Amino acid sequence: MATRDPSMICCFRLLFLLLFSVPLIASSSSWASMHHNNWAVLVCTSRYWFNYRHMANTLSLYRTVKRLGIPDERIILMLADDMACNMRNNYPAQVFNNENHQLNLYGDNVEVDYRGYEVTVENFMRVLTGRHDPAVPRSKRLLSDEGSHILLYMTGHGGDEFLKFQDSEELQSHDLADAVKQMKEKNRFKELLIMVDTCQAATLFNQLQSPGVLAIGSSMKGENSYSHHLDSDIGVSVVDRFTYYTLAFFEKLNMYSNASLSSLFNSYNPRTLMSTAYYRMDLYQRPLPEVPVTSFFGSVMKTIHTDAAYMGLSIPPKTEAQFLPGDGGNHQLRIENEPDLEKDGNKQTKELHCIYHEWLNLLQERFENTDAELLFRYGFGTMVFLLTISTWLLA
Amino acid sequence: MFHNMFKLCNLEIAKLLREYIVAVGAESYYHKFVPRANKFHPLHFFSSTTDNLDLPANPSCGSFILNAVGIIRAPRGDGKETIVLVTPYNSQNTTYSDAVSLGIGFSIFSLLSHVTWLAKDIVWLAADSRYGEYTTVDSWLKDYHGPAFPGETSRIVDDACFEENNSDSLDHIKVEGHNSYVYKRAGTMAAALVLKVVDKKEEERDSLSIYAEASNGQMPNLDLINIAHYLAVHRQGLRVKIGSIIYFLKASWVKLLGEMLQHITTLAKRLNPKWKFDITSADYVEGTATLASSIYYQALGVPTGSHGAFRNYQVDAVTLEFSPRSSLNNENVRSAFLLKTGRLIEGVIRSVNNLLEKFHQSFFLYFLTAPHKYVSVGIYMIPFGILIAPLPIVAAALFSSNNGSSNKDGSWKWLQAAKVVFLIHLWAMITSLLPYVLLQLPLGTPSSFASAWAAVAICFLLITYLILWSSSIDCGWELLKSVMIVAAAIGLSLMSVINFSTAQIGAMLIVPMCLLVKPARKQTQGVFAKALMLTSNLALLVVAFPPAALLIAKTLFGASGNIDIGDFWEWAQILWSWNSATYMYLLWIHLPCWVLCLNIFLYPCIGSSSKA
Repeated sequence: MATRDPSMICCFRLLFLLLFSVPLIASSSSWASMHHNNWAVLVCTSRYWFNYRHMANTLSLYRTVKRLGIPDERIILMLADDMACNMRNNYPAQVFNNENHQLNLYGDNVEVDYRGYEVTVENFMRVLTGRHDPAVPRSKRLLSDEGSHILLYMTGHGGDEFLKFQDSEELQSHDLADAVKQMKEKNRFKELLIMVDTCQAATLFNQLQSPGVLAIGSSMKGENSYSHHLDSDIGVSVVDRFTYYTLAFFEKLNMYSNASLSSLFNSYNPRTLMSTAYYRMDLYQRPLPEVPVTSFFGSVMKTIHTDAAYMGLSIPPKTEAQFLPGDGGNHQLRIENEPDLEKDGNKQTKELHCIYHEWLNLLQERFENTDAELLFRYGFGTMVFLLTISTWLLA
Repeated sequence: MFHNMFKLCNLEIAKLLREYIVAVGAESYYHKFVPRANKFHPLHFFSSTTDNLDLPANPSCGSFILNAVGIIRAPRGDGKETIVLVTPYNSQNTTYSDAVSLGIGFSIFSLLSHVTWLAKDIVWLAADSRYGEYTTVDSWLKDYHGPAFPGETSRIVDDACFEENNSDSLDHIKVEGHNSYVYKRAGTMAAALVLKVVDKKEEERDSLSIYAEASNGQMPNLDLINIAHYLAVHRQGLRVKIGSIIYFLKASWVKLLGEMLQHITTLAKRLNPKWKFDITSADYVEGTATLASSIYYQALGVPTGSHGAFRNYQVDAVTLEFSPRSSLNNENVRSAFLLKTGRLIEGVIRSVNNLLEKFHQSFFLYFLTAPHKYVSVGIYMIPFGILIAPLPIVAAALFSSNNGSSNKDGSWKWLQAAKVVFLIHLWAMITSLLPYVLLQLPLGTPSSFASAWAAVAICFLLITYLILWSSSIDCGWELLKSVMIVAAAIGLSLMSVINFSTAQIGAMLIVPMCLLVKPARKQTQGVFAKALMLTSNLALLVVAFPPAALLIAKTLFGASGNIDIGDFWEWAQILWSWNSATYMYLLWIHLPCWVLCLNIFLYPCIGSSSKA
């Protein structure tokens, strides 16, 4: 018995492990290929009053993305300057993207994650790659995983293979490509859509090589992107053409529309844009007509209801809650096929499943009326007694 | 408010304005100063700020000036920059137009005090122009940019003076304490506007005249004029005018030239559509008149309004002069006029307010050929360059041709010529300093001053010639001409850096004269050639003499009144009292060059050293 071959033992152990790990791997890959959540990173890189339209562009996209379902906790909004409270603003605390002033983009629930001078190339790269200082709060981190679809929208002043940040530094196309490559290696996204609205925007994603990336820019190399119209009341241009026509496309949609990305990309008319919107789909596997825009710009959430917390994956879900289209903004969760939950008693019995909780409850019941000091004395005495006996035994 | 103003006099207007400003909720203070007569002093040309060398020990109480100043601090702004609004009025002789301009100023001020888009502070100076608009604004600016320290008594005027005069003030105006005289400042000035309302009787439309020239030919950034012009024409429907010389508008030769050019350029455009320099005759005539006026006013070096005081501190400023189409006594006309002018000024102020930096994207050196057309420095330097280019070449040619003749003295003969030229320049310098001495003498009328000046100058010139003859410097006229041309070239180039327009006009007069001058007694072949040479030399000499040029210009362009020798003294006085570099140019470069040319023309002996 003692002379069994150690290598044979090793082999058996390995085989044993493999048998157990196969189902695990299978389940993880099927887990990874599912699309779980949508993230949006919206960046405005220019400051000063005459760049009002870049701020309005970004805030318009923010409003659209929120309206179509992505919550604030999954949006990273980076604004390089404050236009709403700028002293030159004739309408303080309001930002408009149209001269009819119908829509105030800077309403009550705008959450800006990176503001003012925090919008730098360094912070942008940190957000994308996830390498932050430990003190950076969760709201400023891109906490995406391998099931995320990420929308990255950038606007500002740009040129041939660069984007200008705040008049003092540049993000170059190879920096962006490097960040995206790191993201891919760390499995930080499943699919990524990059949308850029600057002059010569298409040059910014010349160096991308990671699979799963789709990119669209508002103009090609050598072309400028133009602003749409001037608001004579505010005194500056309020929106850029590319973003204006993007918004015109999205205003017709709601959360449940299944307009495809190809219809979005084909809606851009070079004559009205005064530039050629160029998109790059060679790195993207899925065919564009089959991809709905809400897989990047919105968020169709599939909620899986579990009976209790902390049980993980071992308990199969009893029921599945379906999203039913409500009217107007009524997105209440209506649970079907669950008559059990109506009864209160069952709720109580379910709570006692946890053994630790049971024991604690028992103790509490027992010692509810007892004097704590008496208990302590008894306990201490017992301890000392046991100690003396054990030392006598060992000696 | 207008009617109130007529019943009040000097100081009460300032008090009334201060009351109104405080009622609107802005800060206000009085600026007091005593004006000084601007005497001729040689050092004034070289310094922009002059110390109070001749301030009297006890300034008389009746001769000081009180300006009311209002400041609005932008409620959400950072207080680093200001926009200045100046409305001058004559407190001794207040006209209705003065009252209207003060009214416009106050209505804009009260609008700006409660507007939401204000990013820079606003300062409103109601300047009392009793002793001159420029003096008041200049003094206020000097105090703004130069803080007064407690040790200097020269700037603090005794307040007891002012309190005594209060005894007969109106009862409802409170006497204010010391606090109202504390000078308050508001940041660096981004731009300034001077507003005036003038009642000219012959207008068909409300019109706006823009004056932009500052001292020594400096101009504000072209963008400021462009803003005022665009808003006036495209938003308010005013007619914009810029100074033009009427002679060119009416002269028939200019019209003929314009028509010829129109034919030629339209022909050229038909040949090649890409050539877009076609011009109509009317455009050409208007452009010539405006360009001539623009060059002339820049060449004079005298500012055309109180906006010139701002340019000394590198602040862009223009004067906007509004004239209504009919009398302002009519209520409807007045309110429409106020609305238009108020909106225009609000638009200009909002444009400057929205900027992040001072104007720097457009030109600082330009001539205007129409309110919306200009000639920039890159183009107007070329004619000057072409005029100057032959000068060194001719000088070198003359020098080498003279050197070719075998002379035992070698090539140092030009030193003799240089000595002559230097002595003449010295004489000219002394002549230019003569007025300082002459003004001490109690001579009286300008004509007597002028004749005295001419007499002393000629005396000195004769003395100089005596010195030259006694030292028997004889060089030959060619070397003299060559050294004179070199001196003229250097002088013109230096002047072009200081005031380009003066150098341009000066070059147009001097260069032909210098290049063509030859001794009258020189023998040339052909009677016709000789006659032509003589007449051209004479004509050029006459035209280039500064008083003669002034005479011709006056008869052609200006009023045709009787022209006195005293006019020349007054003209020179204008130049030196404004510290204009044109005065220096005329007397240090133009005059010696002319005297030398005259000398060459009347050269006595034609020796063997001259060549045909």
